[in-house]
Amino acid sequence: MRDKLKETFDQIHAEEELKENTLEFLAEKRRRDRKKRFPQSRRLVPVLACLAAVFLCLGGYRLYFTPTSIISIDINPSLELGINPFDRVVSVEGFNEDGKELAASLDLEYMSYTRAVEEILSDERIAAYLSEDQVLSIAVAGADEEKTETILSQVRACARGHKNTHCYGVSHEEITSAHEAGLSCGKYRAYLELKEYDPDITAEEVSGMTMKEIRDRIASLAGKEEAGESTSYRGKDSAQQKHGHGGQEHSEDDERHGHGYRQGKE
Amino acid sequence: MRSEEEVKRAVEQYADTVRRLCMIHLKNYADTEDIFQTVFLKYALSTAAFESQEHERAWLIRVTINACKDLLKSFFRSRTVSIEEILEQPAAPSEEHREVLEAVLSLPVKYREVIYLHYYEGYTAPEIGRILGKNVNTVYSLMKRAREMLWDRLGGEEDEG
Repeated sequence: MRDKLKETFDQIHAEEELKENTLEFLAEKRRRDRKKRFPQSRRLVPVLACLAAVFLCLGGYRLYFTPTSIISIDINPSLELGINPFDRVVSVEGFNEDGKELAASLDLEYMSYTRAVEEILSDERIAAYLSEDQVLSIAVAGADEEKTETILSQVRACARGHKNTHCYGVSHEEITSAHEAGLSCGKYRAYLELKEYDPDITAEEVSGMTMKEIRDRIASLAGKEEAGESTSYRGKDSAQQKHGHGGQEHSEDDERHGHGYRQGKE
Repeated sequence: MRSEEEVKRAVEQYADTVRRLCMIHLKNYADTEDIFQTVFLKYALSTAAFESQEHERAWLIRVTINACKDLLKSFFRSRTVSIEEILEQPAAPSEEHREVLEAVLSLPVKYREVIYLHYYEGYTAPEIGRILGKNVNTVYSLMKRAREMLWDRLGGEEDEG
């Protein structure tokens, strides 16, 4: 019986076709596996893609939300608009009380800067200042000169319809030192000018003055210097002090005061 | 992964064994092809180091039996094939041995396995126990019962095998 079983099973052989098919299948599998070699690096592809996406998002976020140019608008409210590389306003910062108030009341973020400037210029508070013959200064600054130039010309176009506006470009360093002094660009520049004639003036005082007041002060002091008058600065200081503090509360009143002082001095 | 030559040699060497095991377990040629692919792919991918040819053979037998069982389990067999059909497969033996094969195939699978492993491959009960993952005593009783049934079917004289 054992032999019979053995003989029977001995007769069973794997068909050649079966063996060939199996070898063919294994070779195919091997080829496909070889194609799938570098599994390590392949496996890293989705991970790297995710990382790249994250970095792109972060980079994009930073790129979008980092202001590269600044438009500083000063009349008495002084505020600065941070402009990103895509010409959008990404930050609005008031540099004095009025400026903060104005910044808070206007919803300028993510607007194009031309619209934002127009919006500010057409704001009734600004219009009120302008109608009082105040001087509005718009300073444009940025690391990229070409860009600054473009923004400046755009802003000039916006400001064309408004009288007493004064647009100019400032250097990037100037912004830095202006911010250190706690002033917006436009005011800082005026402050420097004033400081030439009045070395005792402080940034704080200037921050509360309207641009016109500063301009007037400069004009009057310059005029005095040209006339060769030597006045003691001391008396003027106290005047300025009052004037400056007052300016923050009631600009209109101070306006009169200011004129009064100036007229008195002249 | 084993080299192509190594796999080729294994196919040449063990194809018949695997084929016989398929014959015992499966009912059609397509399943046999599946098993061949599964078993030899497993062999190609396995990193097991074999101490001897015997060891390798035993490994392949175990893998084949498991693969067959998995296939039978997974396919809850709507397609059953008669013994006649099996015997018409190209690997089927000639007329004179048909009777024996028919008798073996008419046994339940668990008996077919021990008959094949013991009478053809020459494994002892403890060895079969290891291959099938069964208790030695179970294997003994399976062998005894299988022998009785087979002898019964073949009407042959019982010998001590």
